[in-house]
Amino acid sequence: MKSFFTVFSKEIISFMRSIPLVAVILYSFTADIYIAGAGMQIKPRNVVIGYVDNSGGGLSQKILSHFHQPEFVTPKPYLSQKALSRAIFNKEVLVGLIFNSDFEKKYKKHEDTQLDVLIDATAASQSLTTLAYLHNIILDFEKVDIPLKLQSHKLFNQNADNHSFMALTELLSMITLLSVILTAIVFVKEKEDGTWDLMLLMPVNPKIIILAKSASQVFIVTAGVVLALGFVILTTFNTPLNGSFWSFMLLTLLYGFSSAGIGLFVAAISKDVMQVAQLSIVIMMPLIFLSGAWTPIYAMSPVFQKLSLISPLRYYIEGSESIFYRGTAFVDLLPYFGGVTLLGVLLYWYGFRKIGRLF
Amino acid sequence: MADLEVSNLSVHYKKLTATHSVSLSANSGDIIGFIGADGAGKSSLMHAIAGVIHFEGTVSYKGYTYHSPQECEKIKPEISLMPQGIGLVLYDTLSVEEHLEFFADIRDIKQDEKFLAYKEKLLHMSGLSEFTKRLAGNLSGGMMQKLSLICALLHRPKLLILDEPTTGVDPLSRLELWDILDAIRKEEGTIALVSTAYMQEAAKMDKILLFDEGKIIAQGSNAELIDSIRPFTYQALKEYREDVITFDKRSYSLAPLQAQVAEPTLEGLFFINALKNNKTLPPVEIGDKEQQESVPPVIMQAKGLTKYFGDFIADDHIDIELKSAEILGLLGANGAGKTTFIKMLLGLYKIDEGSLSLLGKDIKSADDRLELKSKIGYVSQHFALYNDMTVRENLIYFANMHKIPLDKALQRIKKYAYELGFAPYMDKFPTELPLGVNQRFSIAAALLHEPLVLFLDEPTSGVDTIARAQFWQILHKLKEKWGISILITTHYMSEAEYCDRVVLLKRGKKIADDTVANLYKAHPDAKSFEDIFLSYFEAQI
Repeated sequence: MKSFFTVFSKEIISFMRSIPLVAVILYSFTADIYIAGAGMQIKPRNVVIGYVDNSGGGLSQKILSHFHQPEFVTPKPYLSQKALSRAIFNKEVLVGLIFNSDFEKKYKKHEDTQLDVLIDATAASQSLTTLAYLHNIILDFEKVDIPLKLQSHKLFNQNADNHSFMALTELLSMITLLSVILTAIVFVKEKEDGTWDLMLLMPVNPKIIILAKSASQVFIVTAGVVLALGFVILTTFNTPLNGSFWSFMLLTLLYGFSSAGIGLFVAAISKDVMQVAQLSIVIMMPLIFLSGAWTPIYAMSPVFQKLSLISPLRYYIEGSESIFYRGTAFVDLLPYFGGVTLLGVLLYWYGFRKIGRLF
Repeated sequence: MADLEVSNLSVHYKKLTATHSVSLSANSGDIIGFIGADGAGKSSLMHAIAGVIHFEGTVSYKGYTYHSPQECEKIKPEISLMPQGIGLVLYDTLSVEEHLEFFADIRDIKQDEKFLAYKEKLLHMSGLSEFTKRLAGNLSGGMMQKLSLICALLHRPKLLILDEPTTGVDPLSRLELWDILDAIRKEEGTIALVSTAYMQEAAKMDKILLFDEGKIIAQGSNAELIDSIRPFTYQALKEYREDVITFDKRSYSLAPLQAQVAEPTLEGLFFINALKNNKTLPPVEIGDKEQQESVPPVIMQAKGLTKYFGDFIADDHIDIELKSAEILGLLGANGAGKTTFIKMLLGLYKIDEGSLSLLGKDIKSADDRLELKSKIGYVSQHFALYNDMTVRENLIYFANMHKIPLDKALQRIKKYAYELGFAPYMDKFPTELPLGVNQRFSIAAALLHEPLVLFLDEPTSGVDTIARAQFWQILHKLKEKWGISILITTHYMSEAEYCDRVVLLKRGKKIADDTVANLYKAHPDAKSFEDIFLSYFEAQI
């Protein structure tokens, strides 16, 4: 046990002495997560609209007055359709509206009225959401009377707040990335410097050294998670924490070890820090693709659905989302704990055999 | 004016000045030898002259003067630089023939009859004619260096700059490399600047420049240099004197001594220089061991130890015995299998064939090693230490891992720091220290648990002569006071002198194994160990 703490505290001291590394960790768990959460924009912003109004004002101006800051810049008038088209071509305007001369007349007569919209579809999402806004504005003018009304109930994430969700996903990715890379590097650096051979020859069980070294890195990541929760996730973005804080921390700890196991595996098969960087990407990418972080598991082909069982990140994401949004009870989380632990144990077993023993 | 004139050349790195306004001159056909410790400024000077790094001062070559790499571009066709490191300029997956074609192409050499004849001659001189189809990755270290050299010679450079071309190369290949160089400079009138770690080699050069801390502190021919230190060289004194350095059967002193004079060697230059700078060797002391244990007469017995890496046999059925209180030198060129052998002894590599017993215990599996761990000390190549911890922290960490109680550990660390002379550096980081200090403190780390046997893997490579002398004194004192057994590997053949017994390895095979005294008896006309080993190497072909 004494040896464990000797190694553990040595690693923490080494980490604290590397100022760039500390800076990277602080950045990753605060600013990076904030940027990922706050930077996520599906709403249009500062979209420039141009219009040609041949209808003589009135209704057309009423419609145009609905486009305002911060989503839209005040619409710009153009004299002819040709001028408007050129402005769109020159990327001065994203969306162009053309009010024909009979626009208002037809509307008042309740005839089929047409409003022509020109869209620069290269900025697809921005222009299409602008189109959706336009639809909504026009719906307000139409007095349709159908006895049907949609009443949606937002579950788990009541504000349907994309920011908090994106920030949380970013946190989970950071935990994965840093536990794998930090752990792989502490082992490979020792291999490169030749100190690992000395460690194996010490009268201490190499398993304890391996556990202590990876525990120190998991500890650093966990400290970062606390920082991220305290300063960004739970405060800035007000992400609801419906489940227990401690079950999330426990899951994080287990997952940290499981990722550290991947790091150990990477370290065991690479010769230097350069190879760690390359291999980490090659190994992590499939694990992240399969985890459901980018594509929901149910949307994958059946083969990949089965394969996703080997990605510890899958259990972690599902578990964390359940804790944060669904507030799942501890007992119901056991499958996630189990999955993460099992994969971690397997990876450590390999690491012990590969770099943790003498012949 | 000489063909090559270097005047007041300085090279600065961020904080460090590698060479301080160095001047030298050379004429066509000269071989100029650079000697000195690692970090003395030899490589920086070579790279500056070759026009690959920025420098201050001027270099003029046959009337053309340059001050920067840009200006040097113009005469690059005349220059060839071979950087330090075995096979560094070669590509493992290209054959010998492909290398020659590649270097001819990048140098834009016209492949006419004259060139083909020259190429054939180079191949013949290097003895590579039969191996043109072999991939560079499958060549021995010596062949790699010969190939690198002929690749550097392909465009008939008139200024050849070779940075330690022979370090770690076997003695026979070293002679062959020298022969190529000697023939080329005679035929082509090439100026060759060659740095070397081997004094026997330096002795053959036309002019030797001795570097220390970025300056040339002595220069001249071998005979001139030896004459210059003759007045200060005496037969070894028995007792220790503060103003005298005694090493390798000779004592060096600036003040006259009441002792017989001795024939000096080039190595003496370093000691005299140290004396002139008031850098005398502090006496090395080794206190008694705290605990005494009974030691079996045979410390290590290896029978037929064999290691395969794929098809390659790194160690081929090697029998070695290490007796109690013996310093056994394991000698060989790079790639001879020395490190692999030590790693098998320690259990860091699996033993593919053969049997091993350590301290009287047969080693069948890793479990057999558990109780031996506290009796073995190991210093690995390049002095493996934690660079982000100070010397003191490193030692405390190692003591903790050895489960030595803290008060006892601190006491021992203090004692070693004082005895081995690194006490002033205790709160520095290893990267800030000279290699020689790192070497002494890594040996302290290996001695903290008072082992019965020490395995040292190339502890002297790259360390300057003075530090090496000190290091051997430590080993001899350890043997004397502790009765410790030491297995040490080195590629300096001359260090065999300081061992009790030597084993010579060549490409994974043992080719000699005898006591130093017996080897001298068997080869009465050998001038040095270099000659003795050469005879074994030649007998093996």
